[in-house]
Amino acid sequence: MPTTKPNPKFAEELSKLNKKLNFMSVINSSANGKSLFSVKDNLCVKGFESRAGSKILSGYIPPFNATAVQRMLDSGYEFVGKTVMDEFGFGSFGTNTDIVAKNPFDETRVAGGSSSGAAVATAVIKNHVAIAESTGGSISNPASFCGVVGFTPTYGTISRYGLIDYANSLDKVGVMGRRAADIRAAFDRIKGADNYDSTCSDSKISSTPTKKLMIIEQLMKGIDSKVLSSFDLLLSKMQGMGYKVEHASLDIIDKAIPAYYIISMAEASTNLAKYDGYKYGEQGKDFTKKYNDFFCDARSSFGIEAKRRIVLGTFVRSASVKDKYYIKALKFRTALTSKLSSILKDSFLISPTMPTVAPKIDEAAGLSLIKAYSMDSLTIPPNLSGLPHISFPCGYANGMPIGAQLISSHFNDYALLDFVESWEKSFKYEFKYNL
Amino acid sequence: MEDSDFDRLLKVCRLRLGAQERKRMEADITEIIGYFNTIDNAKVDDLEPSYHPTKISGKLREDKVRPFENPDQLLKGTKTHRFYVVGPDL
Repeated sequence: MPTTKPNPKFAEELSKLNKKLNFMSVINSSANGKSLFSVKDNLCVKGFESRAGSKILSGYIPPFNATAVQRMLDSGYEFVGKTVMDEFGFGSFGTNTDIVAKNPFDETRVAGGSSSGAAVATAVIKNHVAIAESTGGSISNPASFCGVVGFTPTYGTISRYGLIDYANSLDKVGVMGRRAADIRAAFDRIKGADNYDSTCSDSKISSTPTKKLMIIEQLMKGIDSKVLSSFDLLLSKMQGMGYKVEHASLDIIDKAIPAYYIISMAEASTNLAKYDGYKYGEQGKDFTKKYNDFFCDARSSFGIEAKRRIVLGTFVRSASVKDKYYIKALKFRTALTSKLSSILKDSFLISPTMPTVAPKIDEAAGLSLIKAYSMDSLTIPPNLSGLPHISFPCGYANGMPIGAQLISSHFNDYALLDFVESWEKSFKYEFKYNL
Repeated sequence: MEDSDFDRLLKVCRLRLGAQERKRMEADITEIIGYFNTIDNAKVDDLEPSYHPTKISGKLREDKVRPFENPDQLLKGTKTHRFYVVGPDL
């Protein structure tokens, strides 16, 4: 647990920095800087507004804690605030919401997504871990852009109870920190079976090491040259530490992005169906309206990306095309998981985390939808297959951090933390702020 | 996608869009469905679908009857009439 002496001015200093970088939607004013944890806005914290970055949940104050939150509190961590995110997790840049976090290394750049605020909080607060969540890369991506360590465990390792769902078969609660040891301490406290989540596993988490690093050739296309230089340097250092680097070809991996978006949008559209302005979501007041009109009015609070995903998700689940899209994507997941698991029997998979450094906020806004979705090309495969993965800083280019991503087999999560702890002995991470 | 199909889809989604938003959305949906079609040539038809990426027990907790602690709190955010919750017209 990261600890230090209490700082009575901490909350004040945090609020001041938050005005500059927009990374928290709610700050716990009694926090004093000792053993802190922040919580992504899609996880419920009793008594604090939790709206998953969406206007439709404005004013929702949960009467309960998510299991991960309760376990952190029971372990003595202090809750510091809710971190901002793309609406319901729908984004790669943290820009699909009303509060857009800024990158602490360069305020004109995005912080990544969807756990944008969690990554910024980790980059600016020194005795802190962030409880975040990933569906298709929402931990690795902002961790890479903001220069922190982001750990996404095997699917089902940490309870999803109290998580405002995006896509149930893909959502994974995870942890960000400044050091792998801080993440390990938090992970040990929040993992494990939970009576309130039937998909949560009590499988033993292993730490089986390997000295073989595998690179999938198809994933290395379209990577920015500065990112590639840092990654190559990392590989050289790893070889110096006794690791063997090998390459593999996996043709099917280029279908991972459409398969992921088909499954995630299908599940998102069912999860978002409940926001009717009556039982869930911002309350409508005019009960003289017919139910469908009332329902439609309430749902006008969704942002454009949420509406897009509802429409697409509903389409791919339609009876006439369900086999062509949704079932095919689920079968593709079977194939991909089998192929990746086969490679991971005796090796780690390694790649850069993101194809570029964090883009400028206006550059991200100008990307086409397909281009924006494709930014997750390196993070989607492990997320689609529920494999544990970790992003860690491996270099800097023009003052911006570059991340590498390591993937292991199901439930070999500790091996990833061991690897990064070892890396941290020879590589010093840079931070611009130290609250 | 035909206009009538798109209208039906919006109705099922309970989404009402303005003219500009509808135009943009229709173009986006067409572009993305085109992208989704690239999964067509994946040779996976003989495989079973994975509804989850790992095996899950799906074990449910045992039912336990317990009194609801604070029914007034439950109804606090709703409009009520004679112990009934008032909702929109069906």
